[in-house]
Amino acid sequence: MICLASPRILVIGGGPAGLSASIDLFEAGADVVLVEKEDVLGGTPKKLHYSLIAPDLKPVEEVLDPLIRQVESSAVTKKLGTVVSAIENGNGHVNVTFTSNGGKEEAVFDAVILATGFTHWDPHKKYEYGYGVYPDVIDFKDFEKMLSDDNLARPSNGKMPARIGWLLCVGSRDRQVGKFYCCRVGCAVSIKQAMEVKKKHPEIDTYIYYMDIRTYGFWEDQLYWKAMEDLNVKFIRGRIGAISKGDEGSLVAMAEDTILQRPSEVPFDMLVLTTGMEASQGTVEMAKLLGLEMEEHGFVRPLEADSLPVHTTVENVFVAGTATGPKAIPDAITEGSAAAIKAFNYVRRSRGKKATGRSMKKDARAYAE
Amino acid sequence: MPIHEKHLIEKQKIIQKDSAELEGRDVSGQWNIFIQQRILSQYHPSMADEIASTPDGRTINRCWQCGTCTSGCCMHTDFGLREFNPRYFIYLAKIGDEEELKKYKDVIWRCLACNKCVERCPKDVRVEEVIHAIDGYMRKKGWMDDTPASRWDDEYVGNVLKTGILDEIMLLRNYIRDEEMKEFNAGYMMRMGMNMLKTGRLRTGPIRHRTKGWKKVRKVAEEILEKDGYELQ
Repeated sequence: MICLASPRILVIGGGPAGLSASIDLFEAGADVVLVEKEDVLGGTPKKLHYSLIAPDLKPVEEVLDPLIRQVESSAVTKKLGTVVSAIENGNGHVNVTFTSNGGKEEAVFDAVILATGFTHWDPHKKYEYGYGVYPDVIDFKDFEKMLSDDNLARPSNGKMPARIGWLLCVGSRDRQVGKFYCCRVGCAVSIKQAMEVKKKHPEIDTYIYYMDIRTYGFWEDQLYWKAMEDLNVKFIRGRIGAISKGDEGSLVAMAEDTILQRPSEVPFDMLVLTTGMEASQGTVEMAKLLGLEMEEHGFVRPLEADSLPVHTTVENVFVAGTATGPKAIPDAITEGSAAAIKAFNYVRRSRGKKATGRSMKKDARAYAE
Repeated sequence: MPIHEKHLIEKQKIIQKDSAELEGRDVSGQWNIFIQQRILSQYHPSMADEIASTPDGRTINRCWQCGTCTSGCCMHTDFGLREFNPRYFIYLAKIGDEEELKKYKDVIWRCLACNKCVERCPKDVRVEEVIHAIDGYMRKKGWMDDTPASRWDDEYVGNVLKTGILDEIMLLRNYIRDEEMKEFNAGYMMRMGMNMLKTGRLRTGPIRHRTKGWKKVRKVAEEILEKDGYELQ
């Protein structure tokens, strides 16, 4: 007999991907539990107080709050301030142990969606940039918070900066720190930040030090060209090799201007490090508990990176968002929905198969093809 | 101290003093040669801002330094004047490198205005106009004197403003005389003049052509030119 109970699906992580997966699963009629270790929903963008979101330059609240409200008002079981501490996965059932301040709790699910996201790379490791030594060297999540609080000031003296510089690819595309990949959003976010600065304070000079500008797709003209042409953001080709102290409390960005083929040591009031993305602690821990394979960059390996991007090497575990690699918010939201339908269909299909006794092996792949 | 690889250093970067004194001791012959550093130590964004505010220079901020303009430039390639590099001039103007830009004061005006760069630029920078604007900026700042190109422009504008119609013979006569072009190939010019006469491209004769109501139009034209920062003589 086919079991008529709703599919029981666990979504781990309440960021853009997890929120969108929860909503879609709930609307499809699944029994959804959303677990989030923080006390608020919205994931990293909300936790770190991002400012405007590219490319439409809408505030993060406008982008994510509708999703959060939808989840909050729905019958999705929300477990905030809770972590998954143990998982037993076998026989098509996932036994999950939740741990929170209130103690331990167990539940059984048919499938899991992993949406545990990323973390910003820690720029302390690039000692030559003096992050943590010079107060005016900040990273782009600090700057994002500054912008969203509308509190643009030099951390060293609280004054308005006259010149701000950005260093792209700090902790991305760098063999020295073992990060061989591109963070995909650093260029766009830095340019967006410079645009925000220029729109509010046209008198501030903004310089972006780049090796390549990777504002792919529509970000090219919506961000890169607009910043350059309409807002007078300057682009300097060359990677800053070190930051040192200059006169009157300024910072000197030591770079080679590769267009001039000359060393450049120009003073700045503030320098923003555009740090890369790496898999979050949560992603690594959950992948271990679930027995997922990781790929060489430290993210979760999708079953097929090209054709089955939200499947994992474990058939009842699906993955969405930045747990599989750097991604922008809209992409994470899309993937959340994709993982939701894949998980939902997997459960329905496996129940049908079980009733008729057919093999489920390699089913996901066969079905997708 | 002698500099062994002098050829690697730009001549104007080497400063040699006849005598040098250090703490009261004569160190001439030992420490009297200095090399100026080539480090870029400051940006001057006001230069690009000023150029961008002129009608010719308004597209300067579009440039992303791909080099399409230079690679097709007929001055750069066909005439082999490798120092004429519009991409580079735009970059220098954008970062405001006065010292480096001044080195090209004998080069930058040599644009032939073939407009290949304008046709090809993927960002639609009006390269020919922007180079003209940089040239104009440099002359305005007194970094360079009038050039044959700028005198041609002045002659041309003045000529058109007189009657509202270009008087080619006067233009050429005045220009050749002003420039003292002794090496000018008179025979070639005569042949070209004859051909132009035959095909009706040269207006001549006792009748001075005039644009109807030119006095009124001229006033407006002068107003616009002055507003655009053009100094009328």
